[in-house]
This record gives sequence, structure tokens and C-alpha cells, in this order.
Amino acid sequence: MSVCRPFFTGHLDLEALFPFPSMSPEESETLEILRDSLERFGKERVDSRRIDAEARLPREVLDGLAELGVFGIIVPAEYDGAGASMMFYAKAFETLARIDGSIVVTVGAHESIGLKGILQFGTEEQKRRFLPPLARGEQLAAFALTEPTSGSDAASIRTRATWSEERGAWILDGTKIWITNGGIAEVFTVFAQTAVEREGKTVDRITAFIVPRSLEGVSSGPEEHKLGIRGSSTTEVHFEGVVVPPDLVLGEVGGGFKVAMEVLNSGRLGLAAGCVGGMKQLLAEATSYALERRQFGRPIAEFELIQKKLAGMALEIYGAESIVYLTTGLVDRGAADYSLESAICKVKASEGVWRVVNEALQIAGGMGYMQEYPYERYLRDARINLIFEGTNEILRLYTALSGLEAPGEQLKAVARALRDPIKQLGLLTGYARGRARRAIHRPDLPDLDPAVAEIARPLPVWVAEFAGAVEWALRRHGGEIVERQIALERLAEAAGDLFLMAAVVSRAEEGRRAEPGPGGEAHVTRARLIVNEAWRRVRRQLGRLREYPDNDLRVVAAEVLASSGAYLPGRRPAE
Amino acid sequence: MKIVVCIKQVPERDARLRIASDGKSVDTAGVATEINESDQYALEAGLRVAEKVGGEVVALLLGPDAAEEAIRRALAMGAARAIHLNDAGFQGGDASSAAKALAAAVRQESPDLVLTGLQSDDAGWSQTGVILAQLLGWPSATLIMEIEQPEDGRIKVKRELEAGWFQWITLPLPAVLTIQSGIYPVRYATLKGIMGAKKKEMKKMGPADVGVDGGQVGAAGRKVELKRLYVPEKTAEAEILEGDAATAAASLVDRLQKEAKVL
Ligand SMILES: Cc1cc2nc3c(=O)[nH]c(=O)nc-3n(C[C@H](O)[C@H](O)[C@H](O)COP(=O)(O)OP(=O)(O)OC[C@H]3O[C@@H](n4cnc5c(N)ncnc54)[C@H](O)[C@@H]3O)c2cc1C
Repeated sequence: MSVCRPFFTGHLDLEALFPFPSMSPEESETLEILRDSLERFGKERVDSRRIDAEARLPREVLDGLAELGVFGIIVPAEYDGAGASMMFYAKAFETLARIDGSIVVTVGAHESIGLKGILQFGTEEQKRRFLPPLARGEQLAAFALTEPTSGSDAASIRTRATWSEERGAWILDGTKIWITNGGIAEVFTVFAQTAVEREGKTVDRITAFIVPRSLEGVSSGPEEHKLGIRGSSTTEVHFEGVVVPPDLVLGEVGGGFKVAMEVLNSGRLGLAAGCVGGMKQLLAEATSYALERRQFGRPIAEFELIQKKLAGMALEIYGAESIVYLTTGLVDRGAADYSLESAICKVKASEGVWRVVNEALQIAGGMGYMQEYPYERYLRDARINLIFEGTNEILRLYTALSGLEAPGEQLKAVARALRDPIKQLGLLTGYARGRARRAIHRPDLPDLDPAVAEIARPLPVWVAEFAGAVEWALRRHGGEIVERQIALERLAEAAGDLFLMAAVVSRAEEGRRAEPGPGGEAHVTRARLIVNEAWRRVRRQLGRLREYPDNDLRVVAAEVLASSGAYLPGRRPAE
Repeated sequence: MKIVVCIKQVPERDARLRIASDGKSVDTAGVATEINESDQYALEAGLRVAEKVGGEVVALLLGPDAAEEAIRRALAMGAARAIHLNDAGFQGGDASSAAKALAAAVRQESPDLVLTGLQSDDAGWSQTGVILAQLLGWPSATLIMEIEQPEDGRIKVKRELEAGWFQWITLPLPAVLTIQSGIYPVRYATLKGIMGAKKKEMKKMGPADVGVDGGQVGAAGRKVELKRLYVPEKTAEAEILEGDAATAAASLVDRLQKEAKVL
């Protein structure tokens, strides 16, 4: 069950796509009440300006959040959490993001990634031991992967755990950097190289460990000074000869890369939900500003260019919500693989909030630039989302390469290289070119409401076109495709827009069914506007993929690189 | 100690209200609701007393099915159980017919203390609590700003008077208090509390269940008839006072005293 993967072979998985998911009435009511509590907490107890200026979250705020229960939303009730669905988590996360950027990042690092490994891969004993205090918020968790020499290339980490027969334990050594909650967490999910036997040889493989701060040799550095989310804690974390007992291995020895990737898959979904919340807050504030600010004798909200901005923001929100909710629905239905969907959600929502914050600031004009107003802080806070939990570049490459797995399958070498697309980036060799073209048929859509069916028409057309382009790209570039990143980016963009189209169609269908009248009509209008833009973007990406005008771009890039960045036409490159 | 707190569900403070087609009521379709503000404070006050001396808080609400959400909120905040007076026969009433229904339910519970909000944010009669006390034949006090721990069957409370004056009084229990907004910071419904509330008892009762005559409650029992509900009409009326400054000023003072009666 997957929405995006079938695009690459020209299919639509209708079971994954319809009906558009929703929460149970019971969860909706719980969320409604929790949201009110959170909003009131935000108004009464959170001073974002001060958090930003002092670069710390006051103890009372963390305690208050713990009391409210936000640190254990996703943890099952038997470990003292609320056992909520992924959709509930995402929506609660939206509300947190509306309150404060530093808060939502802190909660996310704890719950979306910090404790997630224990939840997904922990033994019963590990869960019983670690989850309850984490769910209650008495302790915070952190996820420690990044190192000075390993950012995007996570598989290259140097932190090492060596098995000591004598101690009957692992000895952990290494340094992690930029760890969110690094200064305040009590429990770290740490990734380290370990020596394992593979086919008779000893090789390095990553293993995940649960490392409590209380172990000797664990320490954290001073707080980093950051552009935004300044109230969240970001530090180095050092492990010096830390004796880690074997029962703290998370998952299998040598299976740590999988742990990291799975955790980040679900983490990205939370991150995307946070971006949706941020966009909603920005739209609310920008709208009230536009209604109040008068120029030329009228509120600026009466001018078309301002209205266009506000409508654009509303469409960004509708689109991002649709892909995020559709994906959380897949998770809640037990889909085994939603990695493409969550990667696209992360990329689209983070770039969506970045555009929205830019527009909101623009609507506020000079006021938007002043520290007196919150827009400049929102802008600073929003920027991180394009960087962490996988940069958007890496996630686009991932989306394309991982999606290519199925169509490239017939060829062993391609398949092997694509299995761990990020880890093996660059290892791909030899793909038989000129392979016979497969016939690609347009996939069918189910019977839809007439208005929605009209909107949905481009979807099967462009899914088929996309699959054709995928084939073309594989035949054209063979194994070299891994190095053709501009082409991969185009495929990823197209896949993302197909996902967006599919999601808003599914949602509009549900909206039409559930809310006859103007409510349903509002869904249809939004879906129509989004699909109309999206299929044109797909057309453009696929067209340029084949034209490959990107060669010229590479020529310019080569010139820039050869002149150490000083290149200007007509001048001699700097010596 | 058993404490009954009467709560009402009202439209959210910044809700955009429309008048229904009958011209006498508010169209509640799609309007977000909340627990009436001063009732939230009454609930907080009740929970504090119960936490200090031990005992339980019972939430009592009169309203339609949709008001269940307000009950869930009260249970999520810490009420032990709830009674929902929910029947067509209870609807369309005024403060006195609501008080009759509430009084019947309170008699069945025979609590030590009944708390209500000072007034409802929608109708704003400020009557229900005091009529309720009258019907029960219990002492009552309004505009409560502070409650001391009850002792020997008595309770000492602080009332808000005019112009920054306060009054401490002691009442014998059982008693009815109407609570002023702001008495104590209202607690947040936590995720644990909200989930726990789903397991708490919520009893739905009609007139017969609480032993009250159907003719006494709801529309049948009301004493006040609402003729028309309308949005304040905007009128643009201006009058220019003629003459020099001194004459105009004298005329203005005269009018402010005699016509507007604000001086
Ligand atoms: C505030 C903050 C909090 C963080 N919190 C955590 C945390 O809690 N835990 C944790 O483990 N890490 C955390 N990180 C680290 C974060 O995940 C990394 O910064 C991120 O993965 C990118 O790595 P890098 O910064 O080393 O960038 P690099 O990998 O050096 O990348 C630099 C640039 O090159 C691009 N690039 C890299 N490789 C390729 C390629 N193959 N093809 C094309 N482009 C490429 C990138 O997209 C980027 O634009 C945090 C970072 C920040 C800033």
C-alpha cells in the first residue's frame, strides 16, 4: 500500500488513495479539547519573544508541557502515554507549532525521533524501562546521528562502539554535533560503527544504542548560537569510553542504519505537520494585519495583490494538509512503507512554510522587518525545516532513486545500488541501455463526484507520462542516473506534484461526500486550483528532463568551480 | 464533601453569531462553543475545595446533545461524574425554569455545596444561581472572589462589592455560591485527563428522572418571553451645536445632564 511508489511504474493504488482518511470521532473530540488547552497555555504561559531573546525554554514551560501530556502523545498507554494515532499526533503537533517554534522543535526531537527508535525497535524490557518517564516528560530524549564529518552522508559516521569481552559490554567513543535537546535530554538514541561478520569477513556496520546521560563518559557541550528556534537546545554530545551494556543495543547489532532511516521516516511526517501549523498561524496573522493596515484610504486587504497572497497561502495550507493527512492515514492503516510520502511531505511543507513566511512578512511591509513584530522571528524559525532530518536536496534524491527501484528492478546491479539509495549513492554501475520500451497504460480512477472527476482528469494522464519519463531516463542514463542529479530532481519534483494532485483529489472527493453544499464546494475550488498548477509543473519538469538543457547549467557550474567561484564571462578566471 | 457545579455551554467568545430565522434565537449551527467563562471558574473553585477537604465534584449541565462536549471538558478538568439534563422538555426555558430543573437534580444529589457561575455569557441574566438557592431554600452569596476551607458545616467567602470594596461572610452549609470570573487560574484539561474522562459516568436525565413536573420546566415553565433578538442597529445621527464656544459648551453640559444623563 503506497501512493507514490506506483507512480514510477504508471499505476495508481486506489486502495491507498481512497477514501481520504479521518480520525475517529472520539479522537477528534479529544483533540478539540487538547487544542483548547494548548492554545490557552500558549497565550498564558509562553512568551516567545523572551524565549527567542534568552535562547532558552523556561523550566516552567517544559513542566507545563509535560503536565499537558504532549511528550507522550504517540507512546502507547501501557507505557504511560496517550497511545494516539499518527494523525492525532500530526494535528496536535500543528497546534504546538502555532504556539512556538522552539517548543515544537524540542517536542519533535524528543517524540518524533528521540524516543521513536525505542518505540519501533525496542525490546519489551527497553520500552518498560525507558518509555514511561519519557512519555510523562520527566525525561527528554534526543537523536544523535550527525557528526562533524557526517551530515547528509550518515553512513560515514566515525563514532565507534567496540565490544569488550572483558567487560561484557560495548565501549562507545565519539562526538556528535548539533544534537537537538543535547543539553537537556536524559536519554540518547546514538548511532555508532560496530564490527560485524558478513559473509566470513569483518566489516563495519552501524548499530543503534540507547544511551542514558547517567552513564559515565557522556557529556554535552555548550549551547550553539543559532539563527532561529533559539530556545531549543542544540549541543555537541561526547561519548568517552562509555561502557554500554548489551541490553542497550537498539534493534540488531549492525542494523542501526535501518533504525535511523525508519525513525527519520516518521519524524519527517511530524516535521511536515509542524510546518502546516506554522503556515496556519502565519495566514491568521497576515490576514488580520491586512484587514487593519490602511493605505490609499482602504485596508490593504482590499487590494488584489494582497488577496492573491492570502489565497496563495490558503492553497499552500490545503495542499500540505492533504499530503500530510493522507500519509498519516497510511501510517495508521499499518502501511509498511511510507518513506517516499513522508520525504515529499517534508520537502513540500518545509518549502511551503518558507514561502508563506516570506509572503506574510511582505504583507506586513516594514513592520514585518521589525523585531517589534513576530514575522522576522517566524522567518528565522522556519528556515531550519529545509535543513534538518535530511536536507531537501537529499530527500529529493532519495525520492527519485528509491522510486526508481521498481522500474529498474530487472537489472541486478541497478537494483542493488538502489536498495539503499542514500548510503550507496554513487555505487551504481551498468544499466543496459536501449531496453525494449514497456507499454504504459493510463491507470483508471474510481467513480468520483462529477465535479471532482473533472478536476482529476490530468492525474492518470500525467502518471502515465511520468512512468514513461522514468523509463526514458533509465534507458538514457543507465547506471549513470545516480550522478544525473538534476534529472533526479526533476523526477522527484514530478512525483511530488503527482502526490499532491492525488491527495487533493482524494480529499475533495471526501469533502464533497461529507459536506454537501458550500463546505464541499470549498474543497473543490481549492483542489481545482492546486491540480491546475501542479500538472503544468509536472509537464514542465518532464519536458525539460528529455530536452536536457541542464547540460548548459553544468557547463556554467564547471566554470564557476574552475575559477574558485570568481568566474565572470569576459574576464580571465582569478589566478 | 459533595460539590455540584452547574455549567452551561455557550458560543465561544469570538464566535460570529447569526440570528436564527425565528428572530428570537441564535443559529448555533457550526458555532464553536465553550464552557461559560464564570462556570469554568466555578468548576476550578469546586475542584480546589474538593482537593483540600476530600470529596467529589459533580458537573450538572442543562442543554442539548451538542452540550456533551462541555461535559467532557468538565470531566477532563477533574469532575468525577456528570449529570446531563437533556430532554426536549427542558428546552426553550428562561432562568427560572432552568433553575427549577437544576434544583430538582440537586435535591436528588443532596450535596454540601452548589457552585454556579456569576452569569452566563450568552443570556446574561445573572439569575439562575440565586433562583436555584431560593428554590432549594438554601443560603446563597453572589460575586464570590475567594473561598476558605469549609469548617464545622460553615463556609467563609469573600464577595466583590462596588468600587474595590470586598466583604467576607460566613454561610451555613449547604449553600449556593455564584462565582466571579478570575477567582483562581483555571487548570488546563490535560491529555491524560481528557482520555480519563471518557470512562467517567455521564448520566442523561429527563424531567421524570429528576422528579419535576414537565409543566414547570423548559418552554412550558418560563416566565419571561423573548420577543425579538436583533443585532444593535447602526444609526448615524449627529447634531451640531450652534453658537460661540461658551454657548455651545453650556448647551452641551445641559444636554449631557438632562438628556444623556451621564453627568
Ligand atoms: C538546528 C539543528 C538541529 C539539528 N538537530 C539534529 C539532531 O537532533 N540530531 C542529528 O543527528 N542531527 C541534527 N542536526 C544535523 C542535521 O540533520 C544536518 O545538519 C543535516 O542532515 C545536513 O548535514 P550537514 O549540515 O552536515 O550538511 P552537508 O551534508 O554537509 O550538506 C551541505 C549541503 O550539501 C548538500 N548535499 C550533501 N550531500 C549531497 C549530495 N550527495 N548531493 C547533492 N547535494 C548534497 C546538502 O543538501 C546541503 O545543501 C541538526 C542540525 C541543525 C542545524
